[in-house]
Amino acid sequence: MRTVRYAFHEAGVSLWRSRGSATFAVLAITLAMLVLGSLLLVTSNVERLLARWTTAAEFSVYLHDDATSEQRGAIEVAIDQSGVAAAREYVSKTDALTRFRREFVDLATLTDGFDDNPFPASVEVRVVPAAERDGRAGDAVTRLLRMPGVADVRYDREWLARLAGGLNAVRGAGIALVMLMGVAAAVTVASVVRLGLHGRRDELEVMQLVGSPLSFIRGPFVAEGIIQGGAGALLALLLLWLGFQSAIAWWGSDLSTILDGTTVAFLAPGFCALVVAGGMAVGAIGGFAASRHAV
Amino acid sequence: MIETQRLSKLYSRGLHALQDLSLTVDKGEFVFLTGPSGAGKSTLLRLLLMQERPSEGEILVNGHNLNALSRRDIQEYRRGIGFIFQDFKLISTRTVLENITFVLEVLGMPEAQQRRKAFQVLKWVGLQHRMNAYPRELSGGEQQRVALARALVNDPYLVLADEPTGNLDPDLSLEIMNLLREVNAGGTTVVVATHDRELIRLIGRRIITLDQGRVVEGA
Repeated sequence: MRTVRYAFHEAGVSLWRSRGSATFAVLAITLAMLVLGSLLLVTSNVERLLARWTTAAEFSVYLHDDATSEQRGAIEVAIDQSGVAAAREYVSKTDALTRFRREFVDLATLTDGFDDNPFPASVEVRVVPAAERDGRAGDAVTRLLRMPGVADVRYDREWLARLAGGLNAVRGAGIALVMLMGVAAAVTVASVVRLGLHGRRDELEVMQLVGSPLSFIRGPFVAEGIIQGGAGALLALLLLWLGFQSAIAWWGSDLSTILDGTTVAFLAPGFCALVVAGGMAVGAIGGFAASRHAV
Repeated sequence: MIETQRLSKLYSRGLHALQDLSLTVDKGEFVFLTGPSGAGKSTLLRLLLMQERPSEGEILVNGHNLNALSRRDIQEYRRGIGFIFQDFKLISTRTVLENITFVLEVLGMPEAQQRRKAFQVLKWVGLQHRMNAYPRELSGGEQQRVALARALVNDPYLVLADEPTGNLDPDLSLEIMNLLREVNAGGTTVVVATHDRELIRLIGRRIITLDQGRVVEGA
């Protein structure tokens, strides 16, 4: 405990002495943590949206025009017995045409010239969320595709999977960028801490000669990095929050429309803690690297 | 207490600071290391303080084989050794008292004990009235007495002094040597590197003479 108290006291004194360059290091960490925070903010909101869409997943079983009522009945029984359907609805060819005309008013006139109704009849199935997650819905779709009378099955899981894949790619690129910026920030912290090291050169020499424990010698440098990292991360969170509030004030309704009515939320406390811990870790690494020049 | 066996220190460009040096210093002894400049006195003290490692040979101090010490072990080993240098090595930004308590602080002693112990040792060197002064406000003799107080505050079993009187006039030099003699009388082994033959004659203890990195007398 005494070692920790000593380390943070000395770190505070050193930071005050080199406050100009320390500010520079704090800003470098702020930038890195701002990128991390932005990444977490975007991905957490998109993930919530994906989760919502996943719970509302549906598939449509399109029937051949010549499918018999027995075949349709067998399909509906298979759907009910699969256990993946929260609800199902039969949409006849006429219903499908009516729905198209209602939902695409501008295109409705196109259908006036049809000799025959081109829209297939279908059975629309709202999927139980658990069946979507554990893959039972996908298995049911595969089985339904092989049944007589079925022309096609459209399951919106594929584009959800593509969206999730895209999100993972964004997350991967973001993490790589955060790591790169983290390394740059750690190098900046190390350089700033090393500047402070020169100011304490005579103290360090005496500490070594009297046999001070290495934790006493290195501790203040690591503490200096932790303080810089923590301050940088808190500043990043503050800037992120201000940016978030501004975005909500200016584009809140547009964002809500784009995100299908989902409310955009700021980072959860756990993610905020992660950003602060990340900043402190980057600072500690930089401080420790600098401390190796002290002994 | 100290035993070196075939000790050598070779610097770059083939410069031998110490060559095949074997000597013994018993526990409780007061020994002068003397010889001309470049004889290897300071190099031997640096090796004893583990500021450098030997190129060849062994050093045993109080049962420690110094070659086998890790970085962490070196710090522990140094806690039993007091050091005094010609340039004092006081911390200019700390007061006399803080220069002493600093040693105890970094060794983990509670604050109340630090002040009591530091005051005792400052009183012993006769500087308790200057405890709030900064090193720059002290004379050379006073600074060296602070350095001596700092060297002794941790009750070392061995004191190493490298030209401790090099910056002092003869009277102050004798004063410092008398303090070291008192320390030795308490059972602490003292090794002093100096080329001041008059001082050695006045104190009259065992002399080890080095020349060109070899012992020429008194091993």
